[in-house]
Amino acid sequence: MLTVLLVDDDAEFTEVACTIIEFLGHDVLTAATLAEARDWLEKETFDHVLLDFMLPDGSGAHLFNELDALPKRPRVTLITGHPSVKSVIKGLCGPTVDYLVKPIQREEIEAVLSKKTKPKAPAEEKIEKHFDLLIGESPVMKELYKLISRVSKTSANVMLLGESGVGKEVVAAAIHHASESEGPYIATNCGAFSKELIGSELFGHEKGAFTGAVGRKEGVFEQAEGGTLFLDEITEMPIDMQPNLLRVLENKVVIRVGGTKTIPVNCRVVSATNRTMEEIAQSKVLREDIYFRLAVFPITIPPLRDRKEDIPLLAKTFIAEFNKENGSNFKWEESQLDTLQAYDWPGNVRELRHFVHRAAIMSDPEKSEIELPKTIESPFAQKQSTTPALQAGRTIEDVEKELIYATLEKVNGNKTTAAEMLGISTKTLYNRLHAYGDLSKEE
Amino acid sequence: MTSEEFARLSVFVHDARKPLNRISMQAELVKMALNGEVPPEKALAALDKIISSAKDCSHTLSVMTTELGENVSE
Repeated sequence: MLTVLLVDDDAEFTEVACTIIEFLGHDVLTAATLAEARDWLEKETFDHVLLDFMLPDGSGAHLFNELDALPKRPRVTLITGHPSVKSVIKGLCGPTVDYLVKPIQREEIEAVLSKKTKPKAPAEEKIEKHFDLLIGESPVMKELYKLISRVSKTSANVMLLGESGVGKEVVAAAIHHASESEGPYIATNCGAFSKELIGSELFGHEKGAFTGAVGRKEGVFEQAEGGTLFLDEITEMPIDMQPNLLRVLENKVVIRVGGTKTIPVNCRVVSATNRTMEEIAQSKVLREDIYFRLAVFPITIPPLRDRKEDIPLLAKTFIAEFNKENGSNFKWEESQLDTLQAYDWPGNVRELRHFVHRAAIMSDPEKSEIELPKTIESPFAQKQSTTPALQAGRTIEDVEKELIYATLEKVNGNKTTAAEMLGISTKTLYNRLHAYGDLSKEE
Repeated sequence: MTSEEFARLSVFVHDARKPLNRISMQAELVKMALNGEVPPEKALAALDKIISSAKDCSHTLSVMTTELGENVSE
């Protein structure tokens, strides 16, 4: 809370301004003339003086010397009705004095008054988090939000499909959040347990059920009572454990390992896999009956390359998180965001996030520029250059090689088609590839 | 326009800007009332003041046109 002195001769203006300042939680006193202001300054100490430039008995600037002489110099914000006075004030008072030009908006008052308590609050763009968790405004994400809000109203089991790193666990948490259920959100990874232990993890065990079972343990189904159970990597669950899971899903009761009592369970099961529906069907990693129990409502989460317009939003969020944790002040440049947007991100949001953090760690913490590595490398993808393809300083041979490889990739390695696209003979293409040492083993 | 005329024009502009500033401030108050941040009666009073300020402004502008118009005919 601040004590503010408002000096202005327009009574109607001061009245409203006072209402606003008081609403913002500050104490405010008013003066209509320089003389009144001097009176107040003798009696009270102020944190902030809002000062009209033109007063009946002189200019507000006349008060400056007196303010300087005070034991505790308040911050000063000059108010002027005349936009042209602004530059004069700036020249007169230097950069330390703020000024407001009438008509003044509430936000402006708020901004000048809050400046003192928070010396630097970089104006950051507000990025909306859907369901408090999900970022992105692309059409595919909007579709996803719609699905989440629909399914969250029901108790249906959800199966999340999507590549590694797209954020399946985050979507699961979003579903839990949107469903406003009373129970907790429990997550477990079916790929992380040995065949022997997964039964105990899911269903719990009684004391003495097996060697090492020194006490009774609740399984995740019991823990998630009334809430959401997230089973990640469901397709990694050993196939011979799946009938047990099926029984729980069908009958809504669990029996702890080594126990006899049936315990009723009531939770929504959100499962996830990075395999596609076709793969699940063909590879028999999941029993059909289980699949239909779990995937009452299947949701496919789009890979990041299908929603590239969200990359800047995500990159900004990640750098803001980093700034918050490390007290740094990094900012993206438009061109850097373009670079990030051009990349395909085979590791999806996870890869982007790690890349952003790595770049931030590598950058000078005293500056706000982020140093992007020259290339974005991922073991899951071919190296992609972050520098624009055509830039002075590269040799023709280099660019030619890159073009040839890019073309080959585009046509899935078909050399005849690639040669046609490149406008060279197949023989020339073979010669080049030989020269790069790329054909030795194949041809 | 002579410098004398410009000075008179500036006075009128200053006088017209004053009610505009008031209108803007009162509008902020109405916004706060609609957000439930100040009592609704304040909004009603503020709207009355907005109307009267608008009249003031309009009046100033009419006076200005008349006065400056006289100069033209002279």
